[in-house]
Amino acid sequence: MTIQHHPSHAILIQHAAGGLDSGPALVLATHLAACPTCREALAVAESLGGALLADLPPARMNEHALAKVLARTERPIGPIPARSLVQRRHDWIETPSEVVEAASRRRWVAPGVWTAHVGRKPDKGKTYLLRVAAGMGVPTHTHRGSEFLCVLKGDFSDAAGVYRAGDFIESDEDIEHRPMNSGSCECVCLVYTDNALVPRDWIGRLFQPFVGI
Amino acid sequence: MVKTYDWAGKNDNDAATRKLASASMSDLIVAVATRADRQAFATLFEFFAPRVKSYLLRLGAAPEIAEELAQEALLTVWRKSAQFDPTRAAASTWVFTIARNLRIDTIRKQRRPTPIQDPTSLTDPQPHPDAALSLNQDAELLALAVTQLPADQAEVIRLAFYSDKPHSEIAAQLGLPLGTVKSRLRLAMLRLRVRLGGLQ
Repeated sequence: MTIQHHPSHAILIQHAAGGLDSGPALVLATHLAACPTCREALAVAESLGGALLADLPPARMNEHALAKVLARTERPIGPIPARSLVQRRHDWIETPSEVVEAASRRRWVAPGVWTAHVGRKPDKGKTYLLRVAAGMGVPTHTHRGSEFLCVLKGDFSDAAGVYRAGDFIESDEDIEHRPMNSGSCECVCLVYTDNALVPRDWIGRLFQPFVGI
Repeated sequence: MVKTYDWAGKNDNDAATRKLASASMSDLIVAVATRADRQAFATLFEFFAPRVKSYLLRLGAAPEIAEELAQEALLTVWRKSAQFDPTRAAASTWVFTIARNLRIDTIRKQRRPTPIQDPTSLTDPQPHPDAALSLNQDAELLALAVTQLPADQAEVIRLAFYSDKPHSEIAAQLGLPLGTVKSRLRLAMLRLRVRLGGLQ
């Protein structure tokens, strides 16, 4: 798998700083699991966080803080549950397990197209899976705010290029496109959007209320 | 001599402190992991807890929350010390990721009464096993590199880590186009990666 489309340094820094909401962080984590290059870049950004931390003027801790923490280290703790970080669903790239689980909530919204909400309630935006059958597309649209997308399976294209499994794409209101599944199999993407898409043609406007993305 | 710290000043940044921060801190974490060394932990605590608190205060935490989370972060250092791999990350980076993740977890719990398991990499401070970088010896170098960044790049880097604002708001605060903020972040990252040893 050759990944061609990567998140910007700005996104990686925001992630390293802990500034991404959970939905966009999930889409980015999915790309990171597939992309050693971006994991390295993230490690650099996190080192930056470490260097900045070491360089901060210290604040005054409470008088007995150390003693309190040392006392707490004496208390036994239960086993720390192992986190299942990634999971593979047959022919998808590895994804956080909640993404795989979300697929069971799929809802057909148009011929060849289903979506599944990924539970990320506290975010203001929406996180969802989008599946498009070979030869099908999504009506021309633009975005309000930003959209993060990671391809989990198959590929799709728009006027700007072709996107394959593992690729990460950030779109904003400056991008108007009509993504098509140009491959020979279904295409599944994990998407986070700040706001609902803005359809640009009558067919999109007709379907959007039912599609809910 | 009793050292005094003040908020605005940087009078703790002498060479000895830097050296302690970058090199022996890793050994101290290993000492905690291998023999539950309380003296080693006390040294770690005295260096990192006040800085973690400072970090949280900068991000807008109330003083009592910052105190509590700083204690919690250092408790996590004790409990997870066996997971620390000194060949992969600097001690300061590891502690930073612990503090950052605790802060994120706290914010999300406030927004969501029933927390669910969060499987994103955000909550796992361990570096991915095949990460090719060895950043352990480079903490000092990196700290130095940060201080040598052009002022405009250092400013956006600090705001990105300490302001808890999206980049669009940082741009507005600085009176700059968003693209300029993003390109300064990119330039700073590229410069730091070069300093860390010729990554492409």
